[in-house]
Amino acid sequence: MKKFYLLSTVVAGLIALSSNANAYDSTGCGLGSMAWRGQSGIVPQVLAATTNGLFGTQTFGITTGTSGCDPNGRVSGGTGKMLLSFLENNMEQFAFDASVGHGETLVTVAGILNADVNELSAKIHNNFGTLFASNDVDAVELTLSILSMNA
Amino acid sequence: MFSMRYFVFFLSFLFSFNVWAEDWSNSAEWLAIGHYQDQKSSIDSPNFFLSKDGKTNPKAELEATINLFNSDDNKLKCQFPARYLFLKKHKLITAKFPKCEEFEEFKHDLQPAGVTLLFTDAYMNNPSSLFGHTLIRIDTKRKGTQMLAHGANYGAFTGENPGPLYALFGLTGRYFGGFTVKPYYDIINTYNNIENRDIWELNLDLTQEELNFFVAHLWEIGQTQSRYYFFSKNCSYMLLEMLDAVRPSLKLASKFPVQVIPLDSFKAVFRSKDFVKDINYRPSRQKQIVEAVADMNDVQKKAYFKGLREKKYDLPENLSEDEKSDILGTAYQFVQYQYVAKKLELADYRKQSFEILRQRSKLKTTKKNKKIKGKSPLESHESMRLSAGIGAKNGNVFEEIAYRPAYHSLTDNDFGLLKGAEINFLETKLRHYNQDNKTVLQNFDLLTIRSISPADEMFNPLSFQIKANIERWTDAVSKKEGYIGNLMIGTGKAYAFSDNIWGFAFWNNKASTGGFLPHNSMLSFGLNTGVLLDFDKWKGLLEVTPWLASQKIGNMTSYRAELNYVIDTNVSVSAEALFEDRYGKDENEFLLKMRYFF
Repeated sequence: MKKFYLLSTVVAGLIALSSNANAYDSTGCGLGSMAWRGQSGIVPQVLAATTNGLFGTQTFGITTGTSGCDPNGRVSGGTGKMLLSFLENNMEQFAFDASVGHGETLVTVAGILNADVNELSAKIHNNFGTLFASNDVDAVELTLSILSMNA
Repeated sequence: MFSMRYFVFFLSFLFSFNVWAEDWSNSAEWLAIGHYQDQKSSIDSPNFFLSKDGKTNPKAELEATINLFNSDDNKLKCQFPARYLFLKKHKLITAKFPKCEEFEEFKHDLQPAGVTLLFTDAYMNNPSSLFGHTLIRIDTKRKGTQMLAHGANYGAFTGENPGPLYALFGLTGRYFGGFTVKPYYDIINTYNNIENRDIWELNLDLTQEELNFFVAHLWEIGQTQSRYYFFSKNCSYMLLEMLDAVRPSLKLASKFPVQVIPLDSFKAVFRSKDFVKDINYRPSRQKQIVEAVADMNDVQKKAYFKGLREKKYDLPENLSEDEKSDILGTAYQFVQYQYVAKKLELADYRKQSFEILRQRSKLKTTKKNKKIKGKSPLESHESMRLSAGIGAKNGNVFEEIAYRPAYHSLTDNDFGLLKGAEINFLETKLRHYNQDNKTVLQNFDLLTIRSISPADEMFNPLSFQIKANIERWTDAVSKKEGYIGNLMIGTGKAYAFSDNIWGFAFWNNKASTGGFLPHNSMLSFGLNTGVLLDFDKWKGLLEVTPWLASQKIGNMTSYRAELNYVIDTNVSVSAEALFEDRYGKDENEFLLKMRYFF
């Protein structure tokens, strides 16, 4: 009987601790966002041309890790690179805002592109079906579409 | 004659220079830049000190810094832009700051526009986040939104250690802490969207000069590491020292000589004179979903839950476009939640997300989401609690006094805190029994954590409780008293009958030890059920636990009732009743007391 008590204590302990077992992920790259990240691997030429070198070689003094999403853990680079990084990390919210026609991520993207918020939001909203044509759209494709749309 | 005058001038210059150096080395400004508290710096990295004994000698460190900026070691100078600003401001040097490419890039990426202190509320599923967390945002002047700003987080680099070691290392300073910087959208994703924690933003009122100084100082400190102590030199403490460096008159760090609870530090900053200009609230994803569902009408709710179950949304035609958009927006958020919670496969997640968005994109409405008003943690009760009262145990009258350094009990006023979450840390309870005229330690709680988190159709959290304490125990037959130590762990489920009444059930497992027990040990388990009541100023807790133990002394059914009336944020009166049926013998206890938070 004692063994049973002991066992049940241990089991309950494990259940309680298992919820704590996920080590604290202070390097948060949106999990949902990860799912949307480009699978293509090869970054198209046109994007590279707009990004002043996609993944800069700059070293970063202040952190030992990176965000897990951005190579140097900071918002940096040219328009294309910034847009890609932003979309990679905020795809879910961006897709939603695009379907609605307004929202924080649209304001941010307009800022990155130095475009008029209302015009850009309307354009993205009206082209929602084209931008998100398939379930497998990735951040690279989306970045390219938006860049060409805004060109 | 001329050379003599020149010589005297030179001497006096040297002399005055020394006096200057001495004065400034003891100034609040310099001490804050070097993170000195009582002549000892909190920073542990040797590379932060230019003088050999710089960690304990602010004067030597200032002299070494002046020497550095009079030298031509530009690489090293680039490590200390804030010290440079200080020296320049007080005309202790005349040299120019060199061109520092990495620092320039850092500033260029950040494009600083201001500083915001962030507080994220408690996260019960991680021991290091029970008390919430604070971090800094360097606001950006980039076009767009503050999503493009950067968060600076001070945290311990823990690696992968199992739970108990993690706690031990965290308490004893085995880990080193340091800053990491990442885009604010990453921070939002981590806290709001993955851990489902609210974020509170305090925009600080800094001058341009202070802002420049903060960024420079962050650069300096960002390259250092210091021993991390979970309670004292933690994330929040380092941020206080950072803010002191910007405005030494605040003296924030010195207000926390022992422990720093993140929320306390957040309040201290908020209460600093002329330091905060605005507060902003970013609700967690879960909070957004819950609020949105609560705002729906019955037809909407029915359609929403039907959609969740069937994974498609054929919305009734009689709903307006606005009403449909509410449903689809909330459903979309919920699908995101499920994916993060690993309750959806990637393919299914994408399919569902897109179905909802395609439907949403066809609606013409431009209705914006309602802004959610949160209950500000700044208005919550203080962390320390002193309670005193009078009661009777089996007719024996006693006076009781209890002190708890932190943090919150289930029946305390929970405004601005996580409802259903209890953390009692180091509560010490003394009693004086009048009949025997003796004073005893009645109970010492090393730690009690209770997380009562209701499950519903959307969310299915595990409720749990952990208790480690020493208590005074009575043998029901002999009436003898003695001490036993307990470690209890329970897991269970909770259900909200309404906003005011939550029910819960736990399976508790307890290991006890102490010379008072036969064979010095006892194992017990019990089914703990009860209700948590919340009617505005009235808070209540009713619970019953039948215990079955390996020693007869521990067999009992325990009934407990607690009622608390909140008079003011920091004052309440409570009544507690305990009735225990111990193999036929009764034990009872009544207690009336006052709780005061400070």
